[in-house]
Amino acid sequence: YRLYCQTTGLGGSAVAGHASDQIENMVPVKDRILKISFNADVHASLQWNFRPQQTEIYVVPGETALAFYRAKNPTDKPIIGISTYNVVPFEAGQYFNKIQCFCFEEQRLNPQEEVDMPVFFYIDPEFAEDPRMINVDLITLSYTFFEAKEGHTLPVPGYN
Amino acid sequence: MSTAMNFGTKSFQPRPPEKGSFPLDHLGECKSFKDKFMKCLYDNHFENALCRNESKEYLECRMERKLMLQEPLEKLGFGDLIGGKSEAKK
Repeated sequence: YRLYCQTTGLGGSAVAGHASDQIENMVPVKDRILKISFNADVHASLQWNFRPQQTEIYVVPGETALAFYRAKNPTDKPIIGISTYNVVPFEAGQYFNKIQCFCFEEQRLNPQEEVDMPVFFYIDPEFAEDPRMINVDLITLSYTFFEAKEGHTLPVPGYN
Repeated sequence: MSTAMNFGTKSFQPRPPEKGSFPLDHLGECKSFKDKFMKCLYDNHFENALCRNESKEYLECRMERKLMLQEPLEKLGFGDLIGGKSEAKK
């Protein structure tokens, strides 16, 4: 798949253009509590420490939520990383909407630098209407960081 | 932990974030708001609904410090926290 390097989040997303309207008008489905669990990985060549700051958070569809990861560069050289993410179960992924996060764009950490990395997201309220989701109470969000080297093509996770 | 590998016909298609990427808060300008939010989560069994004020304040900090594009809070899902919304929205 193609990695988009986006500062605007435009280009290809099915919800671009009216996402803000959806967020403003969506009604939380308060009786449908979901556990979102967080994983963090780094590709072997990336010497960052990268981890979630919470193992889980409980949300409901239609309610925006914030979560944090943390990354540290423990080396003596600046390192640029770029991340992608995965959502399981697969079928729930279409309902997982990231409003803003740290992914798909190069992030530079200086030597010894440590930063908070937020993810601001929501589960689409239509999740609660989908009969296939009836037994889904746990959604796992995994971020993986890769090293981004100047002049090199970014490594692509081996999904395909 | 290995990432999920789907060898079937389906594969997960990551999508870019709707509003793009957060700039890194290299100077930790909003760290105190993050800490307040995390404490709220820890104190409330990680229930997002009980920490929405804290998440709103964190994002407001980012917007004030140009670490996030200015956005009306309603468009970030905080309409009910700023008044002016009818009960029917809840």
